[in-house]
Amino acid sequence: MILWLARSAMVTFYPRTERFPGLEDMPLDEYLARYKRECAPIMWLGFVLGTLFFHITPLFTVFIPLPAFMLSVETRERHAQRLTSHPFYYVRQPVFLVKMIGGLLWGSDPAVRDRLGLDPYPADPGTRRLA
Amino acid sequence: MTHLSFRTDDVELEVDYVVVGSGAGGATAANALARGGARVALIEAGPWRDPDDYPSTTYGAMRDLFDDWGVGIARGRALWPIVQASCVGGTTVINCAICVRTPEDVMVGWERDLGVGNAAFRDAMWKHQETLERELCAEVVPVATAGRSNLLAAKGANAIGYDNHPMTRYVKGCAGSGQCLQGCKKLRKQSLNLQFVPEVMALGGTVLSCAPAERVLLDGRRAVGVQGRFREPVTRRKGGRYTVRAKKAVLVAASVTRTAPLLMASGVKHPLLGHGFRAHPGTGVFGVYDHDIDQNIGATQGWASTQYRNDPGMKLETLAIPPEMVASRLAGAGRELVERMGEYRKMAMWVTAVRAEAVGRIKRGFFGEVSVEYGFGRPDMERLRKGLAILARTHFAAGAKKIIPGIYGLPYEIGPDQVGLLEEGPLDPRAYILIASHLFGGTTMHKDATRGVCDENGRVHGYEGLVIADASVIPTTLGVNPQHTIMALARTFSERLLGG
Repeated sequence: MILWLARSAMVTFYPRTERFPGLEDMPLDEYLARYKRECAPIMWLGFVLGTLFFHITPLFTVFIPLPAFMLSVETRERHAQRLTSHPFYYVRQPVFLVKMIGGLLWGSDPAVRDRLGLDPYPADPGTRRLA
Repeated sequence: MTHLSFRTDDVELEVDYVVVGSGAGGATAANALARGGARVALIEAGPWRDPDDYPSTTYGAMRDLFDDWGVGIARGRALWPIVQASCVGGTTVINCAICVRTPEDVMVGWERDLGVGNAAFRDAMWKHQETLERELCAEVVPVATAGRSNLLAAKGANAIGYDNHPMTRYVKGCAGSGQCLQGCKKLRKQSLNLQFVPEVMALGGTVLSCAPAERVLLDGRRAVGVQGRFREPVTRRKGGRYTVRAKKAVLVAASVTRTAPLLMASGVKHPLLGHGFRAHPGTGVFGVYDHDIDQNIGATQGWASTQYRNDPGMKLETLAIPPEMVASRLAGAGRELVERMGEYRKMAMWVTAVRAEAVGRIKRGFFGEVSVEYGFGRPDMERLRKGLAILARTHFAAGAKKIIPGIYGLPYEIGPDQVGLLEEGPLDPRAYILIASHLFGGTTMHKDATRGVCDENGRVHGYEGLVIADASVIPTTLGVNPQHTIMALARTFSERLLGG
């Protein structure tokens, strides 16, 4: 459930446009599973809390008493914009981690880099010296 | 040559000196001690990654190189990430290897105000720095590989008329691949996992990686070793225990946020332990040009100005960041944010690092967690605003058509006639996206044992055989990049240990 909610929030931050692919075009489920497995536990906790915060706060941004995942795409996007530009720091801050984690995937995606005229990244080896 | 990485069996060693931490301070100290003929063990919490292991993406860098994914934060009115590495070579693997000699006014101030050092101390520091520059191939960023962002910064600063210069870095023949922050796969950056640490092993030393230290072993008030437990870097699975006994001394260089908490966990008592935390927090401003800048091509950092180091107290420099970091740095969300990213190649990011007068504190919580309490007051916020305004003017002088300040409450983009908005910008730190960089303190030096944790040789007051050899001892901000100072201090302390 939380991964589904996270996916919904992250796609809202980085949707498909005429020029760029969106997170919905990328292996987001695989990425989230990997991120959950690999990241520091405190970071995962912050990410989960940020995701939940994103979904429970539309009443205070777009004034609709529904969770964000039940909003139309346009309204959900307006909600995301208002959260990230909210006058209260502690409203802006919780979703920053969700936006950042989404941005790490979106900005390093080969198709996005191609649209920007950048070479694709080689794979991260994830190896280390053992002996 | 011995390298012990993650393992499930227990390990016991005895050497002359144990050094905790393999970054700028620890690797340099271990290297100096090994060159002096001592048997050394170097303990590193993170893994050993060679250039073939380096990641390319920011996600990979956070996972493989950063200390706990970069989740450390300084807490004040705002939350500022603390970016440092946890791997053999420490932050020298992910920084830009900037090499600036310790300013004379800083060390004169230490002598005058703290009783730390004298003319001979200063001479020793500079002599070591001269040698380090030679050994680590310090080089001015070549024009051919500097990249447009660095060259434009020079053009803008020259047009305005303030002092500026291409950086000198521990980089041999920079290839301009723009990947300093992910580790230099081209082998040009002379990070210490490639330099001093292998030499320690070649001289008979032992390196333990994936081996967070849990405590310094004390026999009364004498440090006699270090104990810890291996940890697998991705799964965090715990492995065997290790105990490394030191016949002569224990040197702690675990980083500013780790050294003081390690001493606290070990039962070292001093009322100022964890106090005196200082930093050069910074933030950047994007200039957007009519033509491609391609900040990802060229030296990640290649230009700087120290004109304002003392008045009002800040440093200006370039910093190239990849698109996946820019994506979360730009304001907005949704299609608007994605379309804004379309300007990535036309953006140049330049940053101001404030030589802050704020002083914070490092604490260790009940469960061993580290917290840093630190925040800006009004004078530091005014320095920050001035720095950003100067950078904005520099961008416009270099030909930018607009700038993106990234400050809450200001427009997303502003033109040349709106730079005043930055000078009059918010004084609330929560309006800015800052990073706490260049950390100092926690076990600061002072001649008087009641006013500092260490003496001018890094030796902890009231203890035998316990030396601090990283930026934790630095009692003030420097106003310049600290790696060169940290290394020279580590070498000075080590030579004094060898000399008795």
